[in-house]
Amino acid sequence: MTAPLGLVVATERTPNTPHQFQFWTAIDSPVGIGTIVRVDGRQPVDGHIPHVYGVVTEGFSYTDLASPLFDVLGHDGDPGQAAFAPTERAEVRLYVAAVLRHVPEEPLQPVPMGEVFLATEADVAVALRMDTYLRDGASTGIPIGLYRSGGMDSAIYLDAEFLVGPEAAHLNITGVSGLATKTSAVEWLMASLFAHFPKSKGSVAAVCFNVKGPDLCFLDQPAELEENDRAMYETLGVPCAPFPDVRYFAPYKADNVSLNTLRSNEELSANVQPLTWGLREVLQFAEVLLNRDDVDAKADALIDFIKERVLDRDFEDRVLKQKHRVRSFADLEGWFRDLLSGLEDQGSEHWRTHHVATIRKVRNRLSNISTRCAGLVTNDGHTSDLPWGDFTDRAVYVVDVALAEEDAQDLIFARIVSKLREHLERRDLGVTHVVVFVDELNKYAPADGPDTYVRKMLLDIAERGRYLGLVLFSAQQFRSQVHRRVVGNAGTALYGRMDGDELATPGYAVLSAATRTKLATLSKGQLMVRHPHFTQPIFVSFPRPAVMRGRDGMERFPQAADVPLDVGVLRQLRRFEPTLTLAWVQDVIGLYEEEDVLRALHATLAHAPEKAGAYFKAQFRKIVGAAPAPAVARTPLRALPDDDPYAI
Amino acid sequence: MDGASSADDRKNGAFETLRSVHAAQRHLLRLVPNVRTATGGGSPLERLERDMELPHVIDAEGAEDATLRARPVPGAPVPAFRAFLDGTQRSQLLGWIGSLPLVYGTSGAVIRERIERRLVTWHTPLVEHRIYAPLAYAPREELEGALGAQLEDTTKPGPDGTIPAPHPTLLLERATLAVSRDRERLELSLAESWCASRPDDPIMIDGGIGSSEAVASSACAVGVVKSHRTLYAKGEALNVVLALSRGERSSVIRIAPRARSEVLSWYLRLRATDGRDALWGLVRVEMRMIDSPGITARADEISRWLLAESSPLAAPDPRWDRMAYGIRSAEEFLRATTN
Repeated sequence: MTAPLGLVVATERTPNTPHQFQFWTAIDSPVGIGTIVRVDGRQPVDGHIPHVYGVVTEGFSYTDLASPLFDVLGHDGDPGQAAFAPTERAEVRLYVAAVLRHVPEEPLQPVPMGEVFLATEADVAVALRMDTYLRDGASTGIPIGLYRSGGMDSAIYLDAEFLVGPEAAHLNITGVSGLATKTSAVEWLMASLFAHFPKSKGSVAAVCFNVKGPDLCFLDQPAELEENDRAMYETLGVPCAPFPDVRYFAPYKADNVSLNTLRSNEELSANVQPLTWGLREVLQFAEVLLNRDDVDAKADALIDFIKERVLDRDFEDRVLKQKHRVRSFADLEGWFRDLLSGLEDQGSEHWRTHHVATIRKVRNRLSNISTRCAGLVTNDGHTSDLPWGDFTDRAVYVVDVALAEEDAQDLIFARIVSKLREHLERRDLGVTHVVVFVDELNKYAPADGPDTYVRKMLLDIAERGRYLGLVLFSAQQFRSQVHRRVVGNAGTALYGRMDGDELATPGYAVLSAATRTKLATLSKGQLMVRHPHFTQPIFVSFPRPAVMRGRDGMERFPQAADVPLDVGVLRQLRRFEPTLTLAWVQDVIGLYEEEDVLRALHATLAHAPEKAGAYFKAQFRKIVGAAPAPAVARTPLRALPDDDPYAI
Repeated sequence: MDGASSADDRKNGAFETLRSVHAAQRHLLRLVPNVRTATGGGSPLERLERDMELPHVIDAEGAEDATLRARPVPGAPVPAFRAFLDGTQRSQLLGWIGSLPLVYGTSGAVIRERIERRLVTWHTPLVEHRIYAPLAYAPREELEGALGAQLEDTTKPGPDGTIPAPHPTLLLERATLAVSRDRERLELSLAESWCASRPDDPIMIDGGIGSSEAVASSACAVGVVKSHRTLYAKGEALNVVLALSRGERSSVIRIAPRARSEVLSWYLRLRATDGRDALWGLVRVEMRMIDSPGITARADEISRWLLAESSPLAAPDPRWDRMAYGIRSAEEFLRATTN
């Protein structure tokens, strides 16, 4: 039988309660903050010996010294003499533990006096109630990491039903920047989720918004891992490999030919697609981009009119000189120009209840969008989008908005989340669950500041997403500065190393001083986990993600330099037909305007034909080369008299 | 069940019933008629004022020098004690039979062994709980029937055959002395065990070592006496003892108190007396008798061991100037385990 680690103690001043107890241990016992222990009671209750499981939340150490002065006197004021003292003072290690679970659970009594043991692997499972969801054949456990204590490693599992829904959902991670904990933890957890999410619960994919640097740009590239990381992968039953199915989406740069992403190296271009939207897509989310102080109800009414009555249909009006079919920003501009010109000609200030000033304002604001979101919004109405309706199980869709302008970021986020929601509601996305990962919640869902469309979207996911299978994995540096309902609705919370100031905020008051201290000193690869099944926070270690780190990726696959149009076209086409040459491209596009070339390119990319070259070439109108006109002999109406050169 | 087992059971049962003063009271109330129990748990009788031996001085025969003198202890302090032995006692008024006091006494002894600078308990500490009753006046049969071996008579006749008078205060004092004797017996028992099994490992014993021949003749036993109601120096010798400076010892003397084995002894000043009384930091050391040529070297050696024990301080014990930390550890252990 295992020797006890400690003994429960209680005094009148510091009694044990049903939720907390104290115990002492030998000086050299392997107990620390976060250690899980088991107390075996001495007296049976209702015929059962009570077992209480707890996690150490505080520790004390003191000696029989009544006053520091006695120590000074004992060493004649010379600290160096302490080493020569023949005896070390009696010293106690006293720990406070928070109760994780009582077995049996009723009657709920104060923790009894008893022996304290280091929790075994089986004890850890019982203590954290993992036994309720790790049943053979019906396990919904998702490994989050290893609990380590006394030389023993225990796998800690989250319950998929409380991570992805429907019981609870969402995950939030907090930690200081620069330790790669937040991104690493999410990458690791996604790998774990993909490996362990039960087939019986449906399918799952992830949509990750890469909002800064190259963090998520190399999820399909392997990392160099150390042996202990590989061992953790093996213990936790997660393949030690990069994600096999990752697709990248990024808007164009302003040149509309180079993708605006740090993953622009030609070697990696096979699974990078442009993200471009036309007027129809943008207009649905116009309010994301329009300043609410500027666009009033009248403007809103006109925008709604355009969306419902003008867009994508033949539109005629007595004020207009011609029939319009508006499909792109260019068409819309033409429609506005015709409308305003007609009103001017008629000397009218109103059109269908809309004042001409409102019409001018809306024209100005909408036209401005294609400029503000250049690269994302196309003038020609071309769309390149996520594969709505065709999402694949265990696939990762990375939307790289790190280099995009803020307006474009907001638009991308709002539209993609809305589309996910729409498709999940209709059950036609292709998967039944989608994890949406958003970093920098301090920016996108701040506790204070204006009520932006993006924040509303995040709140909506957090509060209602779990019923749809739309799950938010979010991260930020300062949890206290994120909207309370966003973090509050996260069933699972992870904490990496924390900033001292952040820990001093009221949200962390429920943690003991020792736990807060541990949080402030966590090393890479360590997390504190809160999960609905765990009645107290638990510390775990997790392996380094098996995917290449962003900065390693940037060294290995440097960003491509900006290129001229012909080279950009070649790069895009080569994804489908690698034999194409620059000379061929130059020959094909030489006669055409940039606008035509881009339209042909976008059409080719949209159809992704096998013979991309031929398809691309076929998009151009036949242009006949200019030839000098033959000289025409002209006959005068009447001949001039030879001697009258002035025809008088 | 055979007779031996039955006796053991009764003995164990009686021991269990005496685990606390309240348990003993309940036990006696159930089995002995006319017992009145004391309320409030009772203060330790050791704190009560009683006639104590008056402080006095005795001349002692020198074993090292013809005339007692101060000797600086040469060399640096060296820790060498492997263990520390001490005992504790506690006497409480349990109740009365008529006006005759019944006393509940707890005595214990422990050796704290030093292993890698930390103190741990050596073997099993000895602890006894007993009832001390004036059996010459109390109902002997009922008490013996109820308590068996856990009963001690406080009215045993003296050497002249007289039985002490039934004066309540006298009987309380005799009970306290009996508890003290039991404590000393337990200490000696442990000391003898150590000396028999670990003869080469020095042990510091709180108090004198002369009450056991086996201990008094052991090379490993060193007694340290902290109280000085009896000073073994007279006249100029007394002045020398009281004027010892820190790190000085007196010449070794030979002492042989009544009914105790003869031992060698000397005074040692552990701490400077600056601003303190003359007995501050002064201990009397006892060791076994040895031949004259080795006395000085051995006394110096043991003095160095003792000086090394002046740190860490045994504070907050009021006797910290004379008490080794190991002895305090033994007392604290017994206080924690016997109360």
